[in-house]
Amino acid sequence: MIEQVLTGAVAGGTCIVFAGLGEIVAERSGVINLGTEGSMLCGALAAYAVGIQTGNPWIGVAAGMLAGLALSAVFAAMVLLRNANQIAMGLVVSFLGIGITALFGQDYVGKGVVPLETWDIPGLSKLPFLGPVLFQHDPLTYLSFLAVPALTWVIWRTRAGLVLRAAGEGPEVLEIYGTSATRVRWVAVLFGGAMAGIGGAQLSTASTLNWSEQMTVGRGYVAVALVIFAGWVPYKLMLGAYLFSGAIALNLYLQAQGSDISQYILQSLPYVLVLVVLALLSRRRIHGGPAALEKVFES
Amino acid sequence: MSRPIRALAMLLGLSLVVALAACGSAESASSGSGGDSKDDGEFTVGFIYVGPKDDFGYNQAAYEGSKAMESEVGDVKVLQAENVPETAESEQVMQDMIDQGADLIFATSYGHLEFAQNVAEKNPDVTFVHQGGLEGENKLDNVGTYFGTVYEPVYLAGIAAGKATKTNKLGYIYAFPIPQTLANINAFTLGAQSVNPDAETITIATGSWCDPSVQSQAVESLLDQDVDVITQHQDCTKTIIEATEAAGAMSVGYHADASELAPKGWITGSEWNWGPLYTDIVKTVMAGDFKDSPYNGDYRVGLQTGDNPFVQSKYGTMVDDETKAQIEEVKQSFIDGGSPFAGPVKDQSGKVVYKEGEQPTYDEVETMDFFVEGVTGKIG
Amino acid sequence: MTAVDAPPSETDDAPDPAPVVAEETGGEPTFAQRLPRVVARWAAIIVSTIVIFSAFLLAKGADPGPVLEAMWKTAMGTPDSIGETLIRATPILLAALAAAVPARAGLFNLGGEGQLLMGAIGAILVADQLDGGAPGFLTLVLMAVGAAALGAAWAALPALLKVVTRTNEAISSLLLNYIAAIIVTWLCFEPWKDPASLGQAYSREMTGPERFPVIWGERVHPGIFVAIGAAVVLWAVLKYTTWGFKLRVIGGNPSAARRAGLAVGGLSVAAMCVGGAMAGLGGMIEIAGTEGRLRPGLLAGVGFIGFLASWLAKHDPLKCILSAFILGAIAVGGSGLKISAGLSGGAVNILMALVLFAVLGWGSKPAAKES
Repeated sequence: MIEQVLTGAVAGGTCIVFAGLGEIVAERSGVINLGTEGSMLCGALAAYAVGIQTGNPWIGVAAGMLAGLALSAVFAAMVLLRNANQIAMGLVVSFLGIGITALFGQDYVGKGVVPLETWDIPGLSKLPFLGPVLFQHDPLTYLSFLAVPALTWVIWRTRAGLVLRAAGEGPEVLEIYGTSATRVRWVAVLFGGAMAGIGGAQLSTASTLNWSEQMTVGRGYVAVALVIFAGWVPYKLMLGAYLFSGAIALNLYLQAQGSDISQYILQSLPYVLVLVVLALLSRRRIHGGPAALEKVFES
Repeated sequence: MSRPIRALAMLLGLSLVVALAACGSAESASSGSGGDSKDDGEFTVGFIYVGPKDDFGYNQAAYEGSKAMESEVGDVKVLQAENVPETAESEQVMQDMIDQGADLIFATSYGHLEFAQNVAEKNPDVTFVHQGGLEGENKLDNVGTYFGTVYEPVYLAGIAAGKATKTNKLGYIYAFPIPQTLANINAFTLGAQSVNPDAETITIATGSWCDPSVQSQAVESLLDQDVDVITQHQDCTKTIIEATEAAGAMSVGYHADASELAPKGWITGSEWNWGPLYTDIVKTVMAGDFKDSPYNGDYRVGLQTGDNPFVQSKYGTMVDDETKAQIEEVKQSFIDGGSPFAGPVKDQSGKVVYKEGEQPTYDEVETMDFFVEGVTGKIG
Repeated sequence: MTAVDAPPSETDDAPDPAPVVAEETGGEPTFAQRLPRVVARWAAIIVSTIVIFSAFLLAKGADPGPVLEAMWKTAMGTPDSIGETLIRATPILLAALAAAVPARAGLFNLGGEGQLLMGAIGAILVADQLDGGAPGFLTLVLMAVGAAALGAAWAALPALLKVVTRTNEAISSLLLNYIAAIIVTWLCFEPWKDPASLGQAYSREMTGPERFPVIWGERVHPGIFVAIGAAVVLWAVLKYTTWGFKLRVIGGNPSAARRAGLAVGGLSVAAMCVGGAMAGLGGMIEIAGTEGRLRPGLLAGVGFIGFLASWLAKHDPLKCILSAFILGAIAVGGSGLKISAGLSGGAVNILMALVLFAVLGWGSKPAAKES
């Protein structure tokens, strides 16, 4: 049971891991972007469409990344140039993404795409338990495994990470050293959009091999929720994403077992779990978040 | 004004980037039938769908039926609206179609019925036909329902699945426990058990008509239970069939022929062929004969009447001639008046629901609310 | 605060208490003087959104002319279509108020949809208890009270989590939407399933005193007046009462408010609850006015649209009436888009987004420049 649920958690959670890691970077710079949902959708459709046009899923993934980035550029322009409210603008940008993908996605519903194949890691994939859970996935999933420590290292061990955190914690200090917090935020938000785009691409071209309107069904919003849940720490975000999709996997597993629990309770499990853990962890997170971000939610 | 202009230019530029990235090379859309709303005397038929019209599923099948009808009837204007929710919003869409001259409206989703009835009451000159519902007490002269006996081909596919399975475990992924789905799951299971008494069906409810990520995980969960044949009742079907094929398991299709997605594991399936029925309904209404036709009521067709709009998909390579012959035999028995639910049928708890020699009416099947013995899963 | 290093969010992110202040300042230009600028600005907004939306349609290969014409006809073309827009604008307006009141106190209520659904559930709970035993008007009032109470309770959850554990209310209220939708699905399939439904999953239809009368055309009910009345009352409360003033103080500067001895926690919870009650009322109106019963998928997406309507109106309840009408018209126009052009109705989300870009992007002060 644990093996199946964890395998499902990784398989279903990867797209959220990508989107969430990107959002961590954006929020570390002091910007919260609910447009992640829209970026994921644009990434999913662009990867699917370009994958079909070119026959090469990797070009599709690149296109998905660019589409997610392009949508977040609209958000960044509104928030950083025009000083619009972040929460409201994030939702607006998600609406834009939903609308664009609904309009242009119509031609691609049900079309076949060249999938991003599963790569079994030689040797490791044969391990009991760990093999299926970790080493029988598509390449983007392995990329997400690498992205977590890489991002952790960048955030805490490099100059870029220092600048990023400074933009979120004390923009004044940054200005003294001649870097503009706004510029850092631009880069951070665009990176976040690109990562969400990759997450969407993973969803459409690796995990489901399908495009349908609003196929993310709110996973972009969940990613933003999980970033706060994770206290802006990459590995905790990964755990959160796996908790969410693990709850979905548990629901499906229990149903397949013929469990007596109501399907409605099982279906609400992912949201209830995230909410409960979020509430339990929030108290000690008062000082964990980027200071500039706290100003967004000041009360 | 320079500020707004700058903002405008910026918005335009950025949004075009997004648009271009998102669509790759945009294929040109169908230009549609134009916005001309005057009733020009041409007979106009409106179709509303709950989902997108090219989803490899229920809506695509209905859409293709409308196209077949259009080319068959010829002198007719067709209005289409997809993604029409099953809420009061659909009343507005139907009223819009009437304002654009619609004389006949096909409400193709289960939940559209009540709203079609409401609009029909206010528009006695317009005819409404609903796909899949039962009129109930609100019988109007300009409303009818129609449907096929969906569960008949599903039962036949169940026979093929029961023969094909090596583990004796079949998987069924569905959205919500509506009666139509429950009848399908039961028919599939009974069909399999008729040739393989050990066959059982494991069900998973996804809580959504189309959530591909959950679908692909549901396939994994079923495979983990040693299921080797998977079928479904979802609106978008592609993810499940491809995931099943990739795992080396077998597929039974639903809604549309998806055999090209599963060249190795395709057994058979059930698919819609609405064209002939739609054509006949349209011609009847055009001729002004609706009121006294069988369509003015709950019209049901099945193998017995010979023109079931729900037909068996083609067989995959694995199905042998013996099985095909056996299925033909059962099919003939349905044509002769038999039913997949001919008693004795027991529910999950072992209680007899239909006694020996008994078989349920159409209405009873379409309000079915239990799983038969051999189904794993909980309704509710 | 110096402009140089202000984070972009700082100046405008605490939802804007400005309108009231501006009206009281002496030196502002009169309305007549401002009018040409206002007209010019809105003309620019409308023209630019239409131009950009047309660009999207062209990119898709559709001819914008007939599409826009069909959308206009569907939403505004005839008295009936205006009626449809009013029907659609009603829950959007109440969802907008649900976002606007907390926004005054600096809170983000993204849970409008869940609160609308809870209101619908509350209304039916009360109606079932009364079972037609009370006169019409009283029935409707009691249903509204039940709906508002349940909507407020659902909104109190994120508010209490915020106060007690500092859980981000935007996120928790958003997650609660999904849970509310699953509860509605469960009710429709299980305990409340109409025995006469012939298999359809919905609750028993209410046809008696639980329903609003139709007052205009075929479907328009008095719900829009209830919603407008609620907006006017809220506007007055926020503008003229000390409670409204306190909310503005919290929204403006919570630390200062705390130093001044205001009970920030209690006021925050109260603001969310009032918002939730508004959304709950919206759910009741949808049941009593339009739907007559609970069904899965009810009011999907309306909460977010209402949230955006509140931002469009800068959280001014009176302006929310207009913004809800505009977004309602765009939503209704979506079906024109479906029918006449065969495009996906979801494409109207682009138009909504463009309107909000124009208003929020231009309306706010530009980012601080180095000076």
